[in-house]
Amino acid sequence: MAVNLKRSSGEDSDGGKTSRRRMLGWLTGVGLFGSAGLSAVSNFVFIKPRATYGQPQRFSVGKPEDFPEGTRSVLGARGICIVREGTKLAAISTTCTHLGCTVASAETGFACPCHGSRFDPDGNVTGGPAPRPLPWFQVTLAPNGEIEVDKDIEITPGSYLTL
Amino acid sequence: MSPVTPPKPSPFAALLELPGNVWKSIFRNPLPSNDLERSATSFTNFFLHIHPVKVHKNSLRPAYTFGLGLISFFLFVILIVTGILLMFYYVPSTTQAYDQMLDLRGTVAFGTLLRNMHRWSAHAMVAVVFLHLCRVFLTGSYKKPREFNWVVGVILFLLTLFMSFTGYLLPWDQLAFWAITVGTAIAGYAPIVGKDMQFLLMGGTSVGQEALLRFYVLHVAVLPSVLVLAIAIHFWRIRKDGGLSRSEDADPVISLEAIPTVKASVLEPKKTYGLQGLVRGPLTKVGQIPDNTVFSWPNLFLAELFTFVVTLSAILIVSLLFNAPLEEPVNALHPPNPAKAPWYFLGLQEMVSYSAFWGGIGVPTIFVLLLLGTPYLDRGPKGVGKWFSRDRLLANTIFITFVVANIIFVIIGTFFRGANWSFVTPW
Repeated sequence: MAVNLKRSSGEDSDGGKTSRRRMLGWLTGVGLFGSAGLSAVSNFVFIKPRATYGQPQRFSVGKPEDFPEGTRSVLGARGICIVREGTKLAAISTTCTHLGCTVASAETGFACPCHGSRFDPDGNVTGGPAPRPLPWFQVTLAPNGEIEVDKDIEITPGSYLTL
Repeated sequence: MSPVTPPKPSPFAALLELPGNVWKSIFRNPLPSNDLERSATSFTNFFLHIHPVKVHKNSLRPAYTFGLGLISFFLFVILIVTGILLMFYYVPSTTQAYDQMLDLRGTVAFGTLLRNMHRWSAHAMVAVVFLHLCRVFLTGSYKKPREFNWVVGVILFLLTLFMSFTGYLLPWDQLAFWAITVGTAIAGYAPIVGKDMQFLLMGGTSVGQEALLRFYVLHVAVLPSVLVLAIAIHFWRIRKDGGLSRSEDADPVISLEAIPTVKASVLEPKKTYGLQGLVRGPLTKVGQIPDNTVFSWPNLFLAELFTFVVTLSAILIVSLLFNAPLEEPVNALHPPNPAKAPWYFLGLQEMVSYSAFWGGIGVPTIFVLLLLGTPYLDRGPKGVGKWFSRDRLLANTIFITFVVANIIFVIIGTFFRGANWSFVTPW
């Protein structure tokens, strides 16, 4: 009888017992759901590749003589267009800034077959949904006399490499 | 005093009865001939017990449901079977996938037919799932207590689209390559997580072998698992939410006033009544109320069988008559001009051609959120179970406007877009 009384009074007024139980409940919940959450996140860590084996972003495209004056040569596999004007040379991207289709040379510059973006010969947007002009990439003359393009470095449109 | 001894089983008799006993151990009931057996058959058979023992006549009305949910499910079954068969030959490799497609066409027995069935069922499933969604909306069936099942249904619609998208990438033809390129680029426009999502989907910075393998795993393992789980929840909730929706007047109104109240003592004075007597009395009417239900066996099961046979026949006929599309092998240098998605994504492609973010992420997200939120925004209890109910004029008008707008975009994308996605007239 005395024990019963003590227990009931402990649950009603003291509250120490219930709060401990609640605390343990919370800890269990946080532990379980936290572990589940971490496992889910670790799945994404797993499927995110640490190394990729794409094409090199910096490459040689040949000697300046390969690009006669006044020509525009699309190097499809590289996704660039080499523009040669007099002694000046530049590399313009042929990957549409909209959704990544490959633009084709058109009379007015470049045109994209996927969603109708249009660019002028310098890569400026003249129509369609493309949000940005086609980027220009850094072009340098390597010591061996070959032209080197680095697609990781975008330069101001209109800045040419003078040979 | 002598205990009753069971007759000694003779081994010979056991052998004779073996086929019958095996049969009876599998199928607990004979073909039903009375209502009790009809109930038992629905109840004790693993494949049938998902059904209720009795089904409301309204749920069997073809003009109410058009069987669209069921057709979607049967198409999914056809897709699983044909898909698993195709997996015996398919290789998710950029150098082999396309050759396997040609192999399926040229040398594999029934290869063309199976590929056709798989592709046309997928197209049909997108269409039928969407029509099913329209049916549920236009009959107000998303209302309480079916709100959450509507949400599951919208998720199923999205999963169907993702299944279809990841599926048509696998032949690694021109359509596949440029669809992955554009699809992952659209994902890249999503705020905050966009670029990471694009990288995860492609498994790298450019579309290639890693991307193909990833979309293959999504198509044959991840998405089907989620889809099966969502379908299970969807079906389970149909039962728990009280079967298919129906209008209030689909059930007879039981008016207590209409039943003449007769005191039990008037009928048989000086008698006390047990429970059995009461339920047979004039007040409770158990078993006598016309409750508008019929036994699932055979009514529902025959309707389902009929729907399945029609669905399978239609897919077979279409697959025998028309070959599934296969474009040129991948040419990473030149997209086809114009590069068009399958019809159900042409509305999206048309929208994307105005703005990548708004067409590909913004508007679709708003549309999906509106769909998901419908049962929680439209709380009026009226208009459930009737096509185009006047009580739901506003909701239906908004919905139909969205649907018609999407159809217009699909039509523009299909017929009015030519080379370089410029506007052309089809005549």
